[in-house]
Amino acid sequence: MTKKTDVVIIGGGINGCSLAYQLAKQDIDVMLLERQHLCSGGTGRCGAGIRQQWSTKENAELAIQSVKIFEQLDKELNAEIGLRQGGYLIAIHDEKELKQAEKNVALQKSLGLQVSVIGPDEIQKIVPILDIKGMRAIAATFCPTDGHADPFKTTDAYAQAARRHGAKLQTYTKVTGIKKKKNTIECVVTNKGKIKTSTVINAAGPHSKEIAEMINIKLPIKPLRKEILVTERVQPLFKPMVISFTDGIYFSQQEGGQILGGISNPNEKNGYFSDPTFFFLQHMAQTLLRYAPSLNTVNVIRQWTGYYDMTPDARPILGEVKGVSGFLQCNGFSGHGFMLSPMVTKLLTEYIVDGKTSEILHNLSLDRFTDKNIEKEAYVVG
Amino acid sequence: MRITQHPILEYDRRKEVRFTFNGKQMNAFEGESIAAALHANGVMTLSHSLRYDRPRGFFCGIGKCSSCFMTVNHIPNIRTCIVPVQQQMTVTEQEKLGKIPCTPFIPKKKENITREIVVVGGGPAGMCAALAAAEQGASVLLIDENNAPGGQLVKQTHKFFGSTEEKAGTRGIDIAKELLNGLKNKKTIELRTSTTVIGYYENEHMHRVIAVRRLIQGDQLLEISCKKMIVACGAMENLLAFPGNDLPGVYGAGGVQTLMNVYGVKPGDTVVMVGAGNVGLIVSYQLLQARVNVDRVVEAMPRIGGYQVHAAKLRRCGVPICTSSTIKEAFGKNHVEGAIVTKVDDCFQPIPGTEETIPCDTICLAVGLTPSIRILEQAKVRSEYIPEAGGTVALHNPFLETTKNGLYVAGDASGIEEASTAMIEGELAGVSAAISLGYNKNGSEVQQKCKNALQLFRSGPFGRIPKICKEKISSCLACEEGGTQY
Ligand SMILES: Cc1cc2nc3c(=O)[nH]c(=O)nc-3n(C[C@H](O)[C@H](O)[C@H](O)COP(=O)(O)OP(=O)(O)OC[C@H]3O[C@@H](n4cnc5c(N)ncnc54)[C@H](O)[C@@H]3O)c2cc1C
Ligand code: FES
Repeated sequence: MTKKTDVVIIGGGINGCSLAYQLAKQDIDVMLLERQHLCSGGTGRCGAGIRQQWSTKENAELAIQSVKIFEQLDKELNAEIGLRQGGYLIAIHDEKELKQAEKNVALQKSLGLQVSVIGPDEIQKIVPILDIKGMRAIAATFCPTDGHADPFKTTDAYAQAARRHGAKLQTYTKVTGIKKKKNTIECVVTNKGKIKTSTVINAAGPHSKEIAEMINIKLPIKPLRKEILVTERVQPLFKPMVISFTDGIYFSQQEGGQILGGISNPNEKNGYFSDPTFFFLQHMAQTLLRYAPSLNTVNVIRQWTGYYDMTPDARPILGEVKGVSGFLQCNGFSGHGFMLSPMVTKLLTEYIVDGKTSEILHNLSLDRFTDKNIEKEAYVVG
Repeated sequence: MRITQHPILEYDRRKEVRFTFNGKQMNAFEGESIAAALHANGVMTLSHSLRYDRPRGFFCGIGKCSSCFMTVNHIPNIRTCIVPVQQQMTVTEQEKLGKIPCTPFIPKKKENITREIVVVGGGPAGMCAALAAAEQGASVLLIDENNAPGGQLVKQTHKFFGSTEEKAGTRGIDIAKELLNGLKNKKTIELRTSTTVIGYYENEHMHRVIAVRRLIQGDQLLEISCKKMIVACGAMENLLAFPGNDLPGVYGAGGVQTLMNVYGVKPGDTVVMVGAGNVGLIVSYQLLQARVNVDRVVEAMPRIGGYQVHAAKLRRCGVPICTSSTIKEAFGKNHVEGAIVTKVDDCFQPIPGTEETIPCDTICLAVGLTPSIRILEQAKVRSEYIPEAGGTVALHNPFLETTKNGLYVAGDASGIEEASTAMIEGELAGVSAAISLGYNKNGSEVQQKCKNALQLFRSGPFGRIPKICKEKISSCLACEEGGTQY
């Protein structure tokens, strides 16, 4: 193993791999460390939905820019990432939700997004299997360029491109410590030896908190178990991802015909609980059938769990932290790290390569939590 | 295609049933699976592969490979090999992905069941486990996903080896009948067939499993809690990689047994058997009994793996057993039309120039089994890959208890062996589970008897591999670290 490198990336998920690719492309000597296999964290477990309809400006902007990158990624990486833009349909159940939705749509439109509020008839047209009464919807918002990509194919495409540019991706290598001298990083300690470096990017999902603690930085991240299931394949029925913030449900049909989706558990406690629950299976099945009763003969074939890396305002923590130079965060995605990754990693790469900062990096830095009036992202699902 | 005369078996064909396939009327007999009935009517292609549109047929016959997915009474993705055919049923081939029906939604209430012991899998191991536990006084629920219990045992027309106490000299089918009768006569055993356990969930002090009961009008969910659980869900047949291995007409050996010996349907007219272990040899002989021509048995190893008696029987009937040979390719348009076999060298590589083309319509694979341990994996028991076991197996102590308290494993699921030892393992697991609940009529004696019998079986020349397997399992169990934690 090389003992010295410019940048160490901790975590082999979508964010780590995308960073490795972009940095290596700029001729930076980079090494990615992953304690298991690539995609073993949130990335390999997620719904991989791509949504641009957000309530805060930063998230909306990051997502809109990310979609532009996703749209040309096949070409850029010379691979197939399985992007499908079938839209996101967000159910609205009452007047209060409608008001918030109208406000958000206005914000999103001001950023150039094609999005609208639609009525029940239109909902039925776009997703015929929905039971408007059953799902108790009065309206919805719909953005046709939202969609979904294959998280494994996308991560693998980044990883392969990173390797082609000379990045070293070390799997089954666990970071056990970080050493610093005064305020600069000296080396990263792993179960396979030490690596000298001056820059570390912390992209370890919920485990980012433990990584930061290695040099006494406190990240306000809490792991929250999230469950998800997939059904057998059936003929194509609908294209968009259907979600509801009130019911906490999201579901879509994959290219292969499987219905994939999850639902939040209002009683879930923070912590590393990895077991799938029967509560989820039942709760999800019952709610899904309320939304789409005709799925009643479809078999569930698998359920599994992952973690959201939750922050107090449900927005990511990005960029260099005060106190330790060369220690960068790329975590705290709170359940939306796949869709934001192209733009987030681009901004971080620009910062490392050219020292370029941006308003987004500033607004989403760790420092924001010292401010009492942080703006909270309202549009969190699953 | 139906077998009318058989030296050993009689088929129950009292009641005729009419159903349609793609709109065409067809006849079947009550008790037959849909796939077997179609086979008897000459329908070999049951589905087409999603990506390359290749025809697929009957392969495993026990619901484990998905090549028989069809739409039945408008419900897609039905495993037709384990669903019995019924009067007026409509069966259609799917246009690849199945279409969901537009039926009104009638929710069926979930049933909650609590039982002292639950046995998953009604093959020889599971039946013996249920009987042994009930014998000591425990109440037992026995679950099987097929529509009748018996597992692989109901397909074994040959006589068993071993000591007379372990039913040697008796045919597998007769042992199965005896066990089935035993089950029926025990009031403390409840049997649920056509019921699949789909998940294991943590629960305080209890094991909790979720099962689906397949009914004609739709499925029902069962939530089952129990103090002790015995997993005896058998094994899956291995597939071999060669061009054409997915053509209709390529079967697993167990699939062929199911067709012939359970339903009385011939798989074809001329067979090439791949694998000369006991399964390959025995099924070849059973094929001859069903008046199917066996062209030859090919075996990649330089010597025959199964018992000499079985090999000798085949040879007497003029079936050549070709060692250091394997199948290179299966060919045919919509169904197997022939096989190319070849000699292999010491490193199992094909020797160029030794290829031979054999016209045949059936290729039967008897190339080993892999333990089914998915429920155990969900329960997060410690497991380990052990080649002698046929794959990854749950570590277990001499009483078959896994690393999870009160969760037992028995039969092929605990490492591939054979029906005789599966029955003893089942008995030992059943009796041990009962004892741990405080039921002990003569349990300790039964335990000792079972342990002795297993030792005896595994001390012979053919017990060598299972013996190594069990030794490895106990040494893995002994070391603190290691073993995959799920
Ligand atoms: C059920 C579910 C559904 C979701 N749905 C969506 C969705 O629809 N759309 C969306 O955009 N997002 C979704 N998400 C969120 C998304 O999965 C994550 O935000 C995203 O994958 C994060 O990627 P990452 O690269 O930051 O982290 P991860 O993919 O979690 O990668 C972090 C990696 O770091 C490694 N690691 C940890 N500690 C160490 C160490 N000490 N040393 C070395 N390596 C270490 C881990 O093994 C892991 O592989 C969902 C998440 C879940 C759980
Ligand atoms: S699942 Fe029916 S043949 Fe294998």
